[in-house]
Amino acid sequence: MATTTATITLSSADLLSDNLSLSATTTLNKGGTTATGLEQMNYHRAIIPTGTNFDLIPESDALKDNSNYVYIINKNTDVTDYVIISINNEVIGRLYAGDWAFFPWSCDLSAAANDSSIELQAFTHEVIVEYALFHVGETLLTAADS
Amino acid sequence: MATTTATITLASGDIADNSFSISNTATLTTAGTDTGLSEFTGLARKKTNSGSNTVLLDSGAGEAGDVTADKSAKVYIKNINDRGDGTKFVTILLTAVEIGRLYGGDWMFIPWAGGSGKDIEFTASDTTETTLEYCVFYE
Repeated sequence: MATTTATITLSSADLLSDNLSLSATTTLNKGGTTATGLEQMNYHRAIIPTGTNFDLIPESDALKDNSNYVYIINKNTDVTDYVIISINNEVIGRLYAGDWAFFPWSCDLSAAANDSSIELQAFTHEVIVEYALFHVGETLLTAADS
Repeated sequence: MATTTATITLASGDIADNSFSISNTATLTTAGTDTGLSEFTGLARKKTNSGSNTVLLDSGAGEAGDVTADKSAKVYIKNINDRGDGTKFVTILLTAVEIGRLYGGDWMFIPWAGGSGKDIEFTASDTTETTLEYCVFYE
């Protein structure tokens, strides 16, 4: 097993009348375990063209109903460039240039869930994103010529 | 305007053959500008001991009523329970769509396209009392 931690620090000196400083750290563990760390990770950098909603992280049987964690960052610098993150046509929100998101992902393959793939669409200009998936497994494709 | 930053650090010494570490800081701004977000719900807690669906953030009410799809909003949620045996979690949903499971100690930080019916909800995996901490930065 591996030990991977995710830490967030939220801070501001002028949002409130006093300093805001909040920090949290979690260890990315497999679901149903006390402390068995996730052992697999995919890290990507991609250029997302405008005009199409893409499956950024497709659902798969190997990922279902367990602990998966997703990190996505918009690496553009023009503040008007954004991507919309959605699951099953439900928009989660917009990541503008420099914004990042980190969230658990269930990968729900039930019929009711329809399609739990994580989708991404770029607006204004093509957007460079980096994204990571810390996960429990991967559906490997048998080689076509095997 | 205010300057509020959100920094993430993902780190592992053994998930790959070399150490892995990513750190990035986002400055929380209004949609499509470099003007800092100035509204904040404050940090709040909500408890449940029910396995039923519970509204965490009602997009049509209170401060969250100002959050709309074309405005900028960032949501932080943490399950502050202990991890325990790892079988208890809170499922986070956006309306009826499941996003993911927060086990004890887990946190998430997402943009939120609010608007009519775009509530953020949670369901505990059982009747164990579960507490979430959460806040919203918005314009």
